[in-house]
Formats: sequence, C-alpha cells, structure tokens
Amino acid sequence: MSRDSMNPTIERILKNIENVMIGKRKVAELSLVALLAEGHVLLEDVPGVGKTMMVRALAKSVSAQFRRIQFTPDLLPSDVTGVSIYNPKEMEFQFKPGPIMGNIILADEINRTSPKTQSALLEGMEESSVTIDGVTHILDKPFFVMATQNPIEYEGTYPLPEAQLDRFLLKMKMGYPSVEEEIEVLNSTQRMAPIDDLEPVIDLEELRDIQQEIKLVTVNDSIKRYIVEIANQSRTHESVYLGVSPRGSIALMKAAQAYAYIYRRDYVLPDDIQYLAPNVFAHRLILRSDAKFDGITADEVISEILTRVSVPVQRLVK
Amino acid sequence: MTNQQSQSFSFMAMILNLCGYFLLMEWLYPIDMLTDTSNISVFIYYLAISLLMSIFRMRNVLRWSIKIVYILYVLHYLYFRGSFFQFTWIDDFSKDIFINLTSVFQSDWSGLTESFRSLLFFVLLSLMTYLISYWLVNRKQIFLFFFMTLLYITVLDTFTPYNADQAIVRTMIAGFVVMSLLTLNRILEREGIRKYSGVSRRWITSLVVMLGFSIIIGFGLPKAEPIWPDPVPYITSYSEDSGNDGPGISKVGYGTDDSRLGGPFIGDNTRVYFTHTESRHYWKVETKDIYTGKGWETSAEKEQRIPFGTVDPIPASSFASPEMEFTERTSVVYPLVDYPHLIYPLGSQYVQTNQDYTFEYDSKLEKIYSFPSSGAALPNLDEYTVQYNSPRYSVKAMMQTVNHNHPSLDREFLEVYTQLPENLPQRVKDLALEITKEEATWFDKARAIEDYFDRPEYKYDQTNVAIPGEEDDYVDQFLFETMTGYCDNFSTSMVVLLRSLGIPAKWVKGYTEGEFRGTAESGKRLYEITNNNAHSWVEVYFPEVGWVPFEPTKGFSNNVQFNFDNYSTNQNSSANTPEQENNPEEETLQAEQQTTSSSNSPYSFQVLWDSIILFLSEAWKKILAASLILGMVLLGLYKIRLKWLPYFILFRFKRRRQDDDFPAAYLVLLTHLNRYGLRREDNQTLRDYAADVDEYFSSKEMGVLTSHYERYLYKGHLEKGSWDETKELWENLIKKTIA
Repeated sequence: MSRDSMNPTIERILKNIENVMIGKRKVAELSLVALLAEGHVLLEDVPGVGKTMMVRALAKSVSAQFRRIQFTPDLLPSDVTGVSIYNPKEMEFQFKPGPIMGNIILADEINRTSPKTQSALLEGMEESSVTIDGVTHILDKPFFVMATQNPIEYEGTYPLPEAQLDRFLLKMKMGYPSVEEEIEVLNSTQRMAPIDDLEPVIDLEELRDIQQEIKLVTVNDSIKRYIVEIANQSRTHESVYLGVSPRGSIALMKAAQAYAYIYRRDYVLPDDIQYLAPNVFAHRLILRSDAKFDGITADEVISEILTRVSVPVQRLVK
Repeated sequence: MTNQQSQSFSFMAMILNLCGYFLLMEWLYPIDMLTDTSNISVFIYYLAISLLMSIFRMRNVLRWSIKIVYILYVLHYLYFRGSFFQFTWIDDFSKDIFINLTSVFQSDWSGLTESFRSLLFFVLLSLMTYLISYWLVNRKQIFLFFFMTLLYITVLDTFTPYNADQAIVRTMIAGFVVMSLLTLNRILEREGIRKYSGVSRRWITSLVVMLGFSIIIGFGLPKAEPIWPDPVPYITSYSEDSGNDGPGISKVGYGTDDSRLGGPFIGDNTRVYFTHTESRHYWKVETKDIYTGKGWETSAEKEQRIPFGTVDPIPASSFASPEMEFTERTSVVYPLVDYPHLIYPLGSQYVQTNQDYTFEYDSKLEKIYSFPSSGAALPNLDEYTVQYNSPRYSVKAMMQTVNHNHPSLDREFLEVYTQLPENLPQRVKDLALEITKEEATWFDKARAIEDYFDRPEYKYDQTNVAIPGEEDDYVDQFLFETMTGYCDNFSTSMVVLLRSLGIPAKWVKGYTEGEFRGTAESGKRLYEITNNNAHSWVEVYFPEVGWVPFEPTKGFSNNVQFNFDNYSTNQNSSANTPEQENNPEEETLQAEQQTTSSSNSPYSFQVLWDSIILFLSEAWKKILAASLILGMVLLGLYKIRLKWLPYFILFRFKRRRQDDDFPAAYLVLLTHLNRYGLRREDNQTLRDYAADVDEYFSSKEMGVLTSHYERYLYKGHLEKGSWDETKELWENLIKKTIA
C-alpha cells in the first residue's frame, strides 16, 4: 500500500488536518474518501476524542462552510432545515435557513433526537435538497454530513434504523489515541495555533473538480465481480440475517475510486476493496441474534468473507 | 467452494455426455443392418473414445491427436497394406484424398473411394460429437436431437426390418435423463443455487424414481395390439401402384402360391424337417412351368394325381436315358410340421414308411402327397425313407444337344417348357442372346447363364427386394433395374433366359440340404431344415439325359455331379467346374466357413487385441523394465524440477519480445514461485504477495513487475515497452529461485 505516493493536494489537506489532530491519519483519510466520493460518514465514538476538531479542520482545508447540529431529544425538524418567519415590516414570510444549509455538517449524537428530526437530516443527505413549507431548497454542493453516534448510552436514544444506516457511505470509529499520541496532544494544546489559523488548501470549485475526476477512475470488470462476490457472500453468510444491498456494492465501488484517486491511481485495486470493505459494508449487515450472542461482530464477518473470496489475478475470460 | 462446484459439475457433465453419446450411437446401430456399411464397430469405438476423452476433459490438442491417430490407424487397417509405421501408405492415402477431392469438386459422388467415404464419415461423427457437447454444455438443450433420434428409430422400425424394440427404450431413458439434468442445470444457473445442495439431490432422486417407475410400468403393463395395421404394405402397394393384394413383407418358408413374386421377407428359424442322408442334396417339393411375368403358375388345369404305395416305384421319370450312371442311396426324413406334401431328392424311386400311409404323385407339379390309407385320422407322418438314384450326369451326352431338332423332343413338351408371357420385354431376350453368343451347345449356354449371375452387379439380399409394379416384368426388373434379390429372382430369371433361347427349363421349389448337425452312428449325416432353407432353383431338360438341376443363385451350390471325362473346358465356361465334384463333407465345411466368415469382418478388434496380447506376452519383461526406468527418470526429473524448470521457463520466454507476452510471463512466474514454495493464498492481493516475495528475496523486482501487471489487469492497459523494461527483473526473479 505504501508504495503508492499520495496525491499532493490530498497530502496537503491531510497535513493541514494533522496540524490540529494528532495520530488520526486513517480517520482523516477515510473522511476524505467519503467527502470525495460524495458520501457521508457515521462516526461511532465516545465524546472528547476530537471529532469536531477534525471536521472543522477538514472544512477549513477545503474552504467549506462548516455547520454543527447538536441533536437533543427536543430538537424539531425545522431546527435542522430552517423555518419561514413572518416579517411584519416586509409583510411576507421570510425563509431563515437552518444549519443543514452548509457544506460540511457535523450532526452530533444523531441517535439522541427523535426519528422525525433524524429523517429531516437523512432526507437532505439522500436527496441533496430539503422541502420546507412546500418550497424545495437545493442544498449547496459539496454537501457532506458527518454524523456521530454515542455507542455507550442507550437510555433515551433512538438508534438509527437499518435503512437509514445504509445511507452512510462509511462508518468508522475514532478510538483513543496511543500514549505517545496523547502526550503529543497535550504538548500541542500548549503551543498549537488555534484552528482558526488554518489556511485553506483548495477552494470549493477545486473540490468539485476532484469529485468529477474520481468518477473517471477505472473499475475493471474483474474488480466489479470481486465486489459483487463479496456482497453476495455477505448475503449467504451463516451469521448474517440481512446482507449487503446493491447500494452497498455501489458504495464500495465509489469509495474505492476515491481511495485510488487519493493514491494517484486511475484504476482500482483489489487491495483498495479489501481495505475499505469493513468500513463500507459492516454497518449494512444485520447479524443473526445467535451470532450476536456468540459475540460475532459485523467486522469479523466481513474479514472472514474477505478470506474466502479469491482475488482476481487473471483476466476474465468470456 | 469453487472446488466442490467444479467437481459436481464434472460429474453432471459426465452423465450428460454419456447419455448424449448413447443417443448418438443409436444412429449408428441400424446403419450396420440396413446399409452395406461393414465394420460399424470402428465408428462406435471412435465415439466411445471421444466420449472418454471429453469426460476426462483432456486438452484439445491431445484429444485431437488421439482421434487423428485412431482414424489413420483404422483407415490403414481397412484399406491399406503394409505396416502402419512404415508410413509408405500415407503417400497412397494422400494421393487417394487428392483424387477424391477432385471427384468431389466434379460432383462425381459415385467416384469416391471407400477409404475417403470412411474418412468423411469420421469427420461427420467428429462434427456430431462437437455439436452434442455444444448442445449439452453451452445451449443446455437437447430436445431437438432427442426428438430426431426417436423419429429416426421409429421410422426405421416401421419401414425397415430394423427392430427397434430395445433401441426405443434405450433412447427414452437416455433422452429423459439428459433433458431432466439439463433442466436442473438451467434452473440452478438461473436461480444461482449452489450445486450439490439439497435441490439437486432431491431432483436426481425423484428423476431416478420416476424413470425407474415408468420403465417398470412400461414393461409390465399389457400392450394392446396396434390399432392401425402395419402401414408398410399399404405404402408400398400405393407407391408401386400394384393394386390391392401386394405381397408386402413375407416370412421365408414354403408356400404354394407363387403367382406374385418379389418383395422383402424376414427370416424364420422354425424347424420343419430333420433328415438323415448319405449325401448332400437339395430337396424338391414341386415344380412350376408357366411364367406369368409376375410369378409362376402351373399349366395343369386339374390335378393329375397317381396313387402309389410304399412298395410301388414313384411314377416319375426324371431321367431320359436308363443308361445313366447312378448311385443308389436312401435318405430318411422326419417331418416336424404337418405338410400334406413330401420332400424328396431328385431321382427318387421309392417312398417307404412304417406308418399306415399311402401316397399320390402329381406328375405335372411333380409333387408327392401323403394320406392316411384308411382315411381315418391318424397321427402325423413323422418318418419316411426315400430311396433314390443319385445321378452322375454325362457332360458328353449333354453336349450333344445343340438345337430343338432332337427326335425325342416332343412339340407339346417344348411348348410347355419354353412358354413365356407375350409381353416379355425384348431386352430380356437380347440379353440371353448376348450372354450365350459364343456358346454352341445347350449345356454351355445353360452354364453361361448360370455364371452370368455371379457378376458383382447382382446382389443377394432378402430385404431390399422390389415388388414388380403393374407394368413391370418380374425378371426384367431384376435383370436390368434392381439386380438385387433372392433365390426366386435368380432362378426365375435363369428359366426365362433359357426359355427365350428355346431351351426347355422349369422352376423347382423345395429346400436346400439344411444345416449340418453331425453324423449319425449309421454314418449318415444329420441335417436340420428350417424355413430359412426354403429355396428355388432351375432344372434344364437335355434330351439325352433328362432334367438337370442348375443353381443360379449367388452363394448357393447344389451338389450335382457331372462326369467331365470327355469335356474339354470351353474358353468361356467357368473354370471352377471341378468344384462341383467336391467331397460333400468338404462342401459342408465350406458352407459353414462361409457363414462364419460372412459375419466375420476383415477388420476386427479381436485381431488387434490378439496381436496386442501376443506382443505383450513376448515383450512384457522389456516393457516392464522400460516403463520402470522411464518412471524412475520421470520421478527423478519431477523431484529436481526446481533445478531445471527455471532454465526451461527462461528459454521459453527468451525470444518473446512482444508486450503481449508480459502477462503470460507474469503468470508463469506466479506459478513458478508457488512451486518454489512461496505460496499465494487465494485471498491475497498481488501487491501483498509481491511485498512478501520481495521481502523473502530482499529484492524489489516483484513489486515493479506486479505494478505493471496490476496496470494491465485492473486498468486494462499495458504501457509500451513494459516487457522490455521488466524482462530483466523477471529473469532475475526466476534465477533467484535456482540459487
């Protein structure tokens, strides 16, 4: 993997993020994959590991407008999408856009709010538009949501249904930093320049161009077959109740294209697929209850499937 | 998983192939019987070999080389002389092919030689085997072929003597198995079900049960007689336009109605007589004297029966001159079937029986009837003895007759025995003159006509025999058009030819001597006569001698003794006359040999097998030693393959400079590294593996090669000069495995 050098632009963005975030290169890289592949990310982690910091740094690096929504049980859909307010001076209703009208949105603790409010956000993610009072508002592009979910608290939460989870391109965990990293975090807090001092690397126009280029990355038929074979195996796996949908296969392909682009390749490798499959597929599986009882996780199932499916090493003969 | 899948597939493929070939073989079996194609077994072996090879999924190159060697071997064995390995025959063969190709382009189909036809047939079979595997493997459909096979078999069964009782059962089983498995295959494929799952097991079980059940039921249930009558006689009669009582297929045997001859018949092994005889001779039953153009009738308006007893001589006179040489002999006949007539040899004098029977002789038909003397119901006549004079005809005497102006020839007699229908075609008469134009005497003429039927154009056949239409003459049709027939055709034709020359002749019916069954204690020979031995032949009248039998039918010989003392063989008459003097016992032997050799084809696998066995028994020690040594050498080579294989691989790719060769070279390298011990798991990516390899060899070559190959494989694009660039790296890696 290391042999491929990184795309210099991407390299700079990652460097930028690393200025404020220490030791989370993989998470930053995956977030970029999702951003470049026009997908969204679900972060499952405890508070205080630097999620906000990372998203803000990312937004700053691509000159995107950053918004944050803190989800609480009493949040209403209009608090997300915006609301029309009567302006007595102008004698008419005026639209006050909500926090969803940004480029990069941090949806914090999304499982704390009611399904109604959740779906307002999820609709925006899927359709790239929101409808308020019968008027459809097209969201700006790029539009990138990073939702976080606290896996510890279950009391008073509304876990996202499986159909909603399918809309996130990637799901990942941040995890605690290592001892050295954490010491470095402490050090840097003392001297580091505040995040406001970060310089943008590219502007939104350039970001949109990159997103277009990524669509041109070659995915060979043998690779497509490899993706589909993995997806198929997830459907027949003995621990799985519901396997990966075709939308999942599409997601894996898009993510792999973006990942290949990051590493300056114009074609996807099986290595890309193997690297991304756990993050793209795991949250789309529903395990059987007995498998869950045995302590089997979706990540384990995906890795097992990856050992079963042979990597294509010859051209397909038709 | 993939492993299991391919295994189950190949098992299924084996069954499919097997059944497909069964169907194909059904097309071959009737060919042997219905056409004059011999050695059909070599084609069946060819199919079997193809089947085996496709079951074991041999490589195409190997498969075709084996097939070609087999075809060449068979063609050589059948059509060429000399050793197969001397290869001189190849030259003849290629000339032969060239000549035949010329014939093909000139549309001269009859000019093709047998060897070329066999070659073409092999080609046809190869195409068929290819087609069948295409149907089975790619199209997964066989119904059309199955249906055609059924149609073919049923049509043959209906319209030819081919009996397809078993063939139909075989075809149905094979066809159902193939169609059912193909359906299963299609369903599995469409639904993406993994083979070897419960589905296919259940499917196959129920298939077997249903097939078994329907076969047992099919065999067990009573079968209704056909509602329709056999369509063949109708169709033949319509097509021949011969009115309503066309003979159709008849069974061989003895019948009295000969007014309409022709048409095929089928064999009948029913035994009718058992005889003890001193010499081999034909048995007469009756003669006919009027040829109608369609068959034979008798000139007698009413029966002229003369009764006689066991002590009276038979009131018959076959011989004109009492000075003839005779041998007195007796034969005992045991009739097994209750016929009113007796069978008797030429020259019979007395008939004796212990039973209370009397006899009547019909002088016109020359037929002997037996009656219980008291008129009461009696047990059937089951034994009688015939005493007869076995004549030895003087050729000298016969040679004296040159024309009708013989004093003993009665005008009325001549009229009866030279009778011919008025509408006998002129060409028959012309032919008779043509055959005998160089002969002077009646005897030579008769011999010439007898010999005429030995020509290869005339074929003996019981099945493919025409029935003369309303406008046809039976003899004319046989002589000029069909040239294929059995005894009635040959004997009637000879009589008609003789009569057209004015030589008195009559048509005799009876039986041949039958099958030799051993020698009795009395020294007499035992013969068994079945319906298959029913026969007809010719008797020619010579004023000096009397009636003399002649045998024009191909493959038959009557044991008539001639005295050739003063007969100088005429240049034209056959040189094989002494054959007729043969010792009867030898004749029997010859006859038996004939029957065995006719079933024994010149080429048979028995011969090949015997020679192989002989060769093996002589040289098995050498072969064993040689194969042991060879085995050891091969084993040794295999053991040290890592030492020499890299050189071979390097040599193989040495001269390859095209970029297209790079992927092949890379794959060879992968296989070789695997052999070397650096195993790549199926789920390991090339890049990962390359890292492992490079780590092992402390090199960078594999990584570079792999990135080129990745580009080729996953991008579908190979940069120009990739192979030139990387060839050295590739060679280095291969060489590293030698160290």
